[in-house]
Amino acid sequence: MNIKINRDTLLKPLSSVSGIVERRHTLPILSNLLLEAKQDKIVLTATDLEMQISLSVETAVGGELSTTISAKKLLDICRSLPENAEITMATQESKIQVKTGKSRFNLQTLPANDYPVMTKAAGATNTVIKIGQKSLKRLLKQVEFAMAQQDIRYYLNGLLFEVNGNRLNVVGTDGHRLSFTSTELGSSYEKQEIILPRKTVIELIKLLDESEEEVTIEVASGQANFAFGDIRLISKVIDGKFPDYTRVIPSGHQNSFTVDRMMILLSMQRASILSNEKYRGIRMVLTENSLKLISTNSEQEEAEEELEINYAGSALDIGFNVTYMIDVLNNVDSENVVFSFADANSSCLVTVENDNNYKYVVMPMRI
Amino acid sequence: MPSIKLLPDQLVSQIAAGEVVERPASALKEILENSLDAGSTEVSVALLNGGIKQMRVSDNGGGIARNELALALTRHATSKISSLDDLERVASLGFRGEALASIAAISRTEVTSYHSQEKHGWRIASEGAYLTEVEPAALAVGTIVEIQDLYFNTPARRKFLKTENTEFGHCEEAFRRIALSRPDVTFLLQHNGRAVMRLAASEAQKRFEEVLGADFSAEAFYLDESAAGLRLWGMAAKPTFSRHARDTQYVYVNGRFVRDKLISHAIRQAYQDVLHHDRHPAFVLFLELDPGLVDVNVHPSKTEVRFRDGQSVHRFIFHALHKALATPIGMPSSLTPDMAVSEGNAIPAQPFVPTYPRFQSNIDLRANEPAGFYQTLFGDLSRSSNPETVTSDTATMPDPIANASIGLHPSGQEYPLGFAVAQIHGVYVLAQNTQGLVVVDMHAAHERIMYEKLKNALDASRVPMQPLLLPVSFHADHLEVATVQEQQSLPDNGLQQLGFDIAVLSPTTLAVRSIPVMLKDADAVALARDVLADLRQYGASRAFTERRNELLGTMACHAAVRANRILTIPEMNALLRDMEATERSGQCNHGRPTWFQVTMIELDKMFMRGK
Repeated sequence: MNIKINRDTLLKPLSSVSGIVERRHTLPILSNLLLEAKQDKIVLTATDLEMQISLSVETAVGGELSTTISAKKLLDICRSLPENAEITMATQESKIQVKTGKSRFNLQTLPANDYPVMTKAAGATNTVIKIGQKSLKRLLKQVEFAMAQQDIRYYLNGLLFEVNGNRLNVVGTDGHRLSFTSTELGSSYEKQEIILPRKTVIELIKLLDESEEEVTIEVASGQANFAFGDIRLISKVIDGKFPDYTRVIPSGHQNSFTVDRMMILLSMQRASILSNEKYRGIRMVLTENSLKLISTNSEQEEAEEELEINYAGSALDIGFNVTYMIDVLNNVDSENVVFSFADANSSCLVTVENDNNYKYVVMPMRI
Repeated sequence: MPSIKLLPDQLVSQIAAGEVVERPASALKEILENSLDAGSTEVSVALLNGGIKQMRVSDNGGGIARNELALALTRHATSKISSLDDLERVASLGFRGEALASIAAISRTEVTSYHSQEKHGWRIASEGAYLTEVEPAALAVGTIVEIQDLYFNTPARRKFLKTENTEFGHCEEAFRRIALSRPDVTFLLQHNGRAVMRLAASEAQKRFEEVLGADFSAEAFYLDESAAGLRLWGMAAKPTFSRHARDTQYVYVNGRFVRDKLISHAIRQAYQDVLHHDRHPAFVLFLELDPGLVDVNVHPSKTEVRFRDGQSVHRFIFHALHKALATPIGMPSSLTPDMAVSEGNAIPAQPFVPTYPRFQSNIDLRANEPAGFYQTLFGDLSRSSNPETVTSDTATMPDPIANASIGLHPSGQEYPLGFAVAQIHGVYVLAQNTQGLVVVDMHAAHERIMYEKLKNALDASRVPMQPLLLPVSFHADHLEVATVQEQQSLPDNGLQQLGFDIAVLSPTTLAVRSIPVMLKDADAVALARDVLADLRQYGASRAFTERRNELLGTMACHAAVRANRILTIPEMNALLRDMEATERSGQCNHGRPTWFQVTMIELDKMFMRGK
């Protein structure tokens, strides 16, 4: 059994699927990827048992092959080969020989039959959503940064995907701040929600591109399937109850102002230099038509940034973790952002101008 | 069903004896306390077979009058208190009027005593329940209590006795506890006719040294703190003199040895920052306070006490000890009587300080590189242009007297850690001071300096709170809920001061609404539970500070200079000066020592100089 393939044809799909392969594993086969070649098509599959990515490439390979090889080693070999090199792969018993020009690599393989391939959950598929790659990527990027990381409230270590009527809502929170975004869908569905694990979200963002091509999302019990381009991604979902985000998002905050996103972002970044490295606290002092950002650190150094804004609300002195603010300003893409406050103890709402679909809520810090 | 009836007096005494006289050592403790309460200045103890066969305590105290001798052996008879008021303000060691009666109930006891109002001494004996008539005896002063065959009539208890050696060990410990508390009394302990311990009346520090050994007193510092009617004094060992077991730990409340959870917690916390977590500190501490503020009538053996205001006692002990432990190297005067001795000669106690023989055995290992070693040492010195560092001619003169002038800073005061001369293997800084050589672990030292800086910066300010967007509710028991409610009703809400906002949602549910910003990524529920448990038990919680310090410790470790970083002489000197100015700089964050001293005498010994 041997196949021939161009190095460049193999490299891109190879690096796409290798992302989820864990370096250290107790199960040796999980550091491998599944390689299946059939005459005019090659399919690469990688999994970490929580999610699986498979990618198929249409190319004439002139043979058939089905085996598993170390993802990292194959990737490293392909990467360091010269461009457009012609790679020949041939299996010999439990080994595979990767050959190109005068380079020869004999790699160990494990049987393809042992590879833990995830399959689509049996039973009726509940919901099939179609959405453009570009808009899905944008939605994910708007909320992804607010996800918790290794929180004991495991249901926060992911994003909520909620389909309700003709709307898709995506929410991420770590208990201190919450990011919400929403988009309209082509048709109407019954209400359904899943929590997509953190790792899946991050991989998805990497794999999605800026095209208008459609992503088909199938939501089944305990599983979510994403299909776009040559890529099929299957992910388990987090079994848990996501907190009721609607109670957290405030409404009717009176004191609000609109500000240029880049301008306030840069000010925040400058002010954060002198914020306490552990607290990351920053004070926002609002008076008529003026916003001051003040930070101090443990060495009694102080930074002050003043911005001219259109503000007619009541005077306010409110503290925040500046990282939470910089995060949101970095991840939304509009020109202007709107900050709304009630008082120094209530949450702050950040929205973007001319778009009601995005909301970011952050709790103040009592410095 | 048998009918209910009053127990015979003898049986009642035997039951009571079970609590009071757990083993020979407890009988010894009771009798020694009686002797001290009688105002004795000389007490001698003679034991046979670990105190099981015979225990004889003689003193020169006030004695017992003839007509009171029989009463002394009767239950609930005492001269120490007479009313409830006395009980509430009890200043004597004993007060229950039980001990002697209990002991008499389970042994053959003989009490011989001379009272100043009598013409001669009198003796009374008892065997179990039976008292003999009082008969004249030849005794010129004090009282002799002789107890034979302990537990002769309670075979069940006798079976629980351990070997003679074990029982003697316990007796010796009881004796030691009493002896430590009264340095002004002369004590003698004999076992099977051999004198085991002879302690002449002396100063407290001398007594501690005699009882606990020279290595303890060399490594311990003296402290004496008082505030608001509380006084804590005694000696506590430096963290480097720590033990694997909790053996050398003596706490006295108004002269009475106690084992109190509250006090040990406070002490433990004071050491927490400087002691490795599985080591135990060594100390002899005396807490003195108004007897009315402490209840000793908790348990017949009186090793437990209750404080009327446990919170302030806890706080006081913690602060007093914490402060004493924090004193930087530069200013030893207030605590350590002789810095040079306590640091330099601490060989047996500090496992890290190589003793003389160990140095010898190490010579082989170094043998192939001494030339290079000295070259670096003196090479650095001779080309050093820094006026603060020593010049090469003083360095080559090993006479400590000639070196006395070095290591002085402009004000004429000495730098305790001297001046750096070199760095070896990128790990240790060598410095010389008037006593000789100082070796500093630069990473450990710098780590402590950074850690203290971070801590001081944060201690000064209020704890910033991070309110939670999604409050975390959890199932709590009644005690936890009650603690929260109690704290909320106080004007200075302890929870809020620690950066917590906890609300009662229902009689069994609490919600954490805010947590300290520093710990925003921690498990809020576990943290809240820890804090509540601490607040309930000790009135104050250091759970937050502890967690925070852990974080700071990690930060400090990353910020500190690593091994193999080559430091210049001015950098090394700056490190030494920082150490002198930093609290607790004798140990790194994990309790390891940061420096030690090799004196000229030790160096001379190594080279057999002056022999």
